Amino acid sequence: MTKKIAKDTFENKLDRLEEISHLLESDEIGLEYAMALYQEGIELSKDCISTLKVAELKITQLKKNLDTLTTDEENFFEE
Amino acid sequence: MFEQTEILTVSELTRQIKQTLEEEFLQITVQGEISNFKPHVSGHWYFNLKDSGAVISCTMWKGYNSSVFFTPQDGIKITVIGRITVYPPRGNYQFDVRSMKPAGIGELQSAFEILKQKLSNEGLFDEEFKKPIPSLPRRIGIVTAIDGAAFRDMISIARRRFPLVELVIAPSKVQGSGAAENLVESIKTLNRKKDIDVIIIGRGGGSIEDLWAFNEEIVVRSIFESKIPVISGIGHEIDFTISDFVADLRAATPSAAMEIATPDKADYFAFINDFLYNSGQNITNLFDNKKNRILDSIGSYGFKMPLDLLRRKSQQVDGIVYKMSVNFDKQFLMLKNKLSLLSKSLESHDVKKTLKKGFVLVKQDSKFITRSSKFICGKETQLEFFDGEVNLNS
Repeated sequence: MTKKIAKDTFENKLDRLEEISHLLESDEIGLEYAMALYQEGIELSKDCISTLKVAELKITQLKKNLDTLTTDEENFFEE
Repeated sequence: MFEQTEILTVSELTRQIKQTLEEEFLQITVQGEISNFKPHVSGHWYFNLKDSGAVISCTMWKGYNSSVFFTPQDGIKITVIGRITVYPPRGNYQFDVRSMKPAGIGELQSAFEILKQKLSNEGLFDEEFKKPIPSLPRRIGIVTAIDGAAFRDMISIARRRFPLVELVIAPSKVQGSGAAENLVESIKTLNRKKDIDVIIIGRGGGSIEDLWAFNEEIVVRSIFESKIPVISGIGHEIDFTISDFVADLRAATPSAAMEIATPDKADYFAFINDFLYNSGQNITNLFDNKKNRILDSIGSYGFKMPLDLLRRKSQQVDGIVYKMSVNFDKQFLMLKNKLSLLSKSLESHDVKKTLKKGFVLVKQDSKFITRSSKFICGKETQLEFFDGEVNLNS
């Protein structure tokens, strides 16, 4: 398992964290497995927190283009 | 009544009527109820204006009706300004409307009720069509005025609550003529993007006229047809538009709509903190459980067996050692007894006893003389009796 977190989305990471949380609540879990999960959970936690902390709101403006089906995008403003 | 001097043709009469009417009714204001309203594909509007006693047909050309903020509906009272025109080929007259407004706020309210009832009957507001709002959106489409306070408020709320999200703004007029068409186009544009998770359609507070675009049928229908869930945030808490009824979720204000659309990052921090605490706790418990199992094993009867065995063996050894020492003592005593017996026997063989019987030991130069040939006559001799020595000096 573990360690392919870099490519995953924030949502996937949260889901995995929740899953780990449930797994760790089980009484039947093996100690080595629990340790590995806990390790993974801590890494995911760090990852999620830093993602949230450094996130910058992105704003995109759609150009009005009534004649064609495509819409051009341009980076709007960052306040 | 003027005196007629000549016979008129139909055209001549019609021309005179046209001139008379059009000059007389060049700029007039009329109030009446709309009936048989028909917007033509050309953009022109055709309808009747009536009251209980009369009816007059009306036209409103595209260039004029584009500045009307609402779409007229049958049954509502309006006030129009315009002129009378006569159409000679048909021999009829009509009212050429230049501007139009509802006869009063109550008229808009009844227009609102009429359309709401109609769309409700069609099932547009039914719960079964309401799409769920995603809990963790990646892209939020926004249909609003790009220079409006509502948009700025939405940006600051998104930034505070969940800056991971991307806002995609499809700018639109939100009031006045053309606003409804604009709103429709923006909703469609966002729907073509495919990667939008939820749309917020909104504007800040205003009068019923200001908010009217959101009561227009085309806007309501485009919200209904949106494949992407739509949250409405129009006006203030007390304002309800028909768009609010058809939206998948109605928020009281644009800001409230953004609050609903975005999760709060503080909740995630709390979740992660809980995770770290609980998991740490779980791991500790797990360790304690394993440790207790080890301690239980050590304390168990089975585990104590070897030690007991050892003690038993040790006891056995002690027993043997004890037995050995007892045997040794016994042996020792026996040997001691034997020794004393032997020493008694030895005693019985004592030379003195022989001497008592009358034998004498003969010594010369401190040596026992054991045979006659060694005896030297005349030399100093000691005779040893059992009770003492006698010196013989020759």
